[in-house]
Amino acid sequence: MTRIAYRRPEEMTERARELTFARGNLNVYRALANAEKVFTGWMLAGRAALTSPVLPIRLRELIVVRTAYLMDCPYELGQHNDVARTAGVDNDEIKVVSSDSDWQTGYFNALELAVLHLTTELLTTRSVSAAVFDQVHKALGSEATVEVLMVINRYSGLALMLNALDVDLDETARLPIPDCESSICQRGGRSRYRPESRL
Amino acid sequence: MSRIPLTNIEQQPEPIRQFMARRGDLNVLRLLANAPNVFGGWAQMVDEMFDSPTFSRRMRELIILRVAHLQGSPYELGQHTGLARAAGLTEQQINAVVGTGDLDAAGFSRTERTALDVVTELCSTHRLRDESFAAAHGVFGDEAFTELLMIISCYYGLALVLNAVDLDLDTTARFQP
Repeated sequence: MTRIAYRRPEEMTERARELTFARGNLNVYRALANAEKVFTGWMLAGRAALTSPVLPIRLRELIVVRTAYLMDCPYELGQHNDVARTAGVDNDEIKVVSSDSDWQTGYFNALELAVLHLTTELLTTRSVSAAVFDQVHKALGSEATVEVLMVINRYSGLALMLNALDVDLDETARLPIPDCESSICQRGGRSRYRPESRL
Repeated sequence: MSRIPLTNIEQQPEPIRQFMARRGDLNVLRLLANAPNVFGGWAQMVDEMFDSPTFSRRMRELIILRVAHLQGSPYELGQHTGLARAAGLTEQQINAVVGTGDLDAAGFSRTERTALDVVTELCSTHRLRDESFAAAHGVFGDEAFTELLMIISCYYGLALVLNAVDLDLDTTARFQP
């Protein structure tokens, strides 16, 4: 049961309301909108992360689900299991990426595995060995590597807020991912990095 | 030694250069500018956080320093220890926040101590017990409590980026709050 009252959209500034509706008017946004002086900036940071074409959406969602699992965040898992599926992650893959070690064999390509290793090591030890880091950096380059780290940044921090407020998972509403309404975000997608061709 | 090359400020688009002129020519900003698609939104978030009147500068730095310590981030500690001092925290209080002194003996107000307890429990267990939430919510109310979470969230996640990259602390440049 969410521990604070939701802000009603009509109580928000116009900008905050627009951003909230554009992202499905989810419980997470209506809860965090209580921080009205910083909410708009936080939403803009999220929009930038969700609309950047640098990372394939499938790769981004693998990072999000892995982060949600390691941060023990039921809300993020509830939302992003569905978003990940839309982004081309199948049910078995979602299951293993939300487990301690099953993801390491048989499911993911070399780049995805390297990114999942980095995510796991960073969230469990708060740092990353040079070898694991370099593998990702060599494969993705600097821009995409920073974006990978910013996804971990955002969703680990968000997990703390969701857990602290104990936000209820929305019954049916899910984060809309416009690019996924067509088939372009299936494996590889149209983004600049094609996991199959790297590593 | 930073594992990702830092960008040149001269080569950045105008909004990034403006943000750096306002907040400091910092290694962290030259690192994040590698990802221009996400830099702008992140920078707006930081601006709103530091322009908000909800918390005093002292309270904000207290929260940040505690997160930096619990996340083991030398870069955040290096940047924010001086800012905490400038915001009025004593050496004894700073030592207590970064784990080398006694929090109970450092003379924090009830509000400050409540914020520190939220940071400590949330960063170390990833959640808050009902009684911890009730105590903090009673002190801060809906808006300030949620804004406290926003600050924790920002610096918790950023510490991971900085630690992963092993970013060097700036020689002298410091964040302008």
